[in-house]
Amino acid sequence: MRGFELVHPGSLADAIGLLDTDDDTVRPFSGGTALMLMMKTGVFRPSRLVHLGRIGDAYSEITASPAGGLRIGAMATLSALEHSPEVIRVAPVVARAMTRLANVRVRNVACVGGNLAHGDPHMDLPPVLAALGGSVSVAGPQGTRDVAVEKLFSGYYETVLGRGELITDVVLPSQRGWSSAYLKCTTRSADDWPALGVAVSLRIEGGAISEARVVVSAATEILTRLTTAESALTGAAADESTFARACEAAAAEAEMVEDARGSADYKTQLLRVYLRRALTQAVQDGAVS
Amino acid sequence: MDASETVKKIRFTLNGRPVSATVESHVDLVDLLRRFDLGGARESCGQGLCGCCTVVVDGVAMSGCLTLAQLVDGKRVDTIEGLDQTGALSPVQQAFIDEGAFQCGFCTPGFVLMTHQLLERNPDPSEPEIRDYLAGNLCRCAAYPEIIRAVKSAASRMRASAAA
Repeated sequence: MRGFELVHPGSLADAIGLLDTDDDTVRPFSGGTALMLMMKTGVFRPSRLVHLGRIGDAYSEITASPAGGLRIGAMATLSALEHSPEVIRVAPVVARAMTRLANVRVRNVACVGGNLAHGDPHMDLPPVLAALGGSVSVAGPQGTRDVAVEKLFSGYYETVLGRGELITDVVLPSQRGWSSAYLKCTTRSADDWPALGVAVSLRIEGGAISEARVVVSAATEILTRLTTAESALTGAAADESTFARACEAAAAEAEMVEDARGSADYKTQLLRVYLRRALTQAVQDGAVS
Repeated sequence: MDASETVKKIRFTLNGRPVSATVESHVDLVDLLRRFDLGGARESCGQGLCGCCTVVVDGVAMSGCLTLAQLVDGKRVDTIEGLDQTGALSPVQQAFIDEGAFQCGFCTPGFVLMTHQLLERNPDPSEPEIRDYLAGNLCRCAAYPEIIRAVKSAASRMRASAAA
């Protein structure tokens, strides 16, 4: 790594002001666990890092809404998500996903906002939040806006965030009545980046699926909702034959990327298997009350 | 870029002692500790995977290799060297010796610090909880069975002394 300027704005407005530049060697820095790897390998050579650790404690708060939703400050660490009583109650699938993400030390430092804004399709949290219908609040020089997590990513390590924009919160709608699960498959070692991530969220009423969200990540260039698989699930009984149809629809729909973790064909087969397991697990774990 | 923008004087508490250092922005916490002649936190993988560089900052364990040194300004930094400052080994250190929970010892400081973190949060962990918590610490001598025995032994010793 080479020398750069590390600045510590004391407010969100100051941070946005410092980031409102066309210079792409100026970047926000929260937990830094992902950025440090890019800096150490020379992939990223910053001229200035805008450290967000001092913009205020309000940006790391996690609060449950009376309606059954959740607001998660972007500076909340992944460990805070893992252990938050609100997260465990409202969105237990999020807390469970944390237990197999990196390790304790990384989770102690890495933050929710950076995890999303990094745009890495191999991350575990984005597909889970997308399946739960989550959105992010974004603040920038032109004001604030909301973006659905499933619309946040525009390419490999690319997001729709514009110049000077920062994610300030993640907002989850009410999870009451939804059954959710996330599974990933690592092919080289247990702690490898996933070859495939699949997140599902189902609303089941009287044994039939009334609404479904299916999101695939890691094996695809960006996280992707599989709408034909969702159509195969919606209105059908929550049983094995429905799940089998949905898995075939997903396999036909997803555009898999071949890499060191497996061929496209192999990942398509993984999707068939892991989507069925995720759907089964969501039903077994039951709905959030 | 001129040096005044990249170099900064920081003050922090190192194993209970107030210290200061003038550090470049790109220096990580492992290299900063080396300047204080502390070699317990070692960079091995350099990617936050192996746990050999574990350092405790304001009571929270992190990978020194992924931590910019300037960010510990004003904070409390604790390393393996702080554990036996009273002259006695910590119960975890003693348990690792008694169970022979290392061979080469390169990973041991990280395992010992992470075990202290675990037992502070969970004084009576199950074996799966121990394995989960220490999953981010790698021992290339594969002393894992002895390490897990040492963690259980340290836990029961610390519970016994807390109850006394």
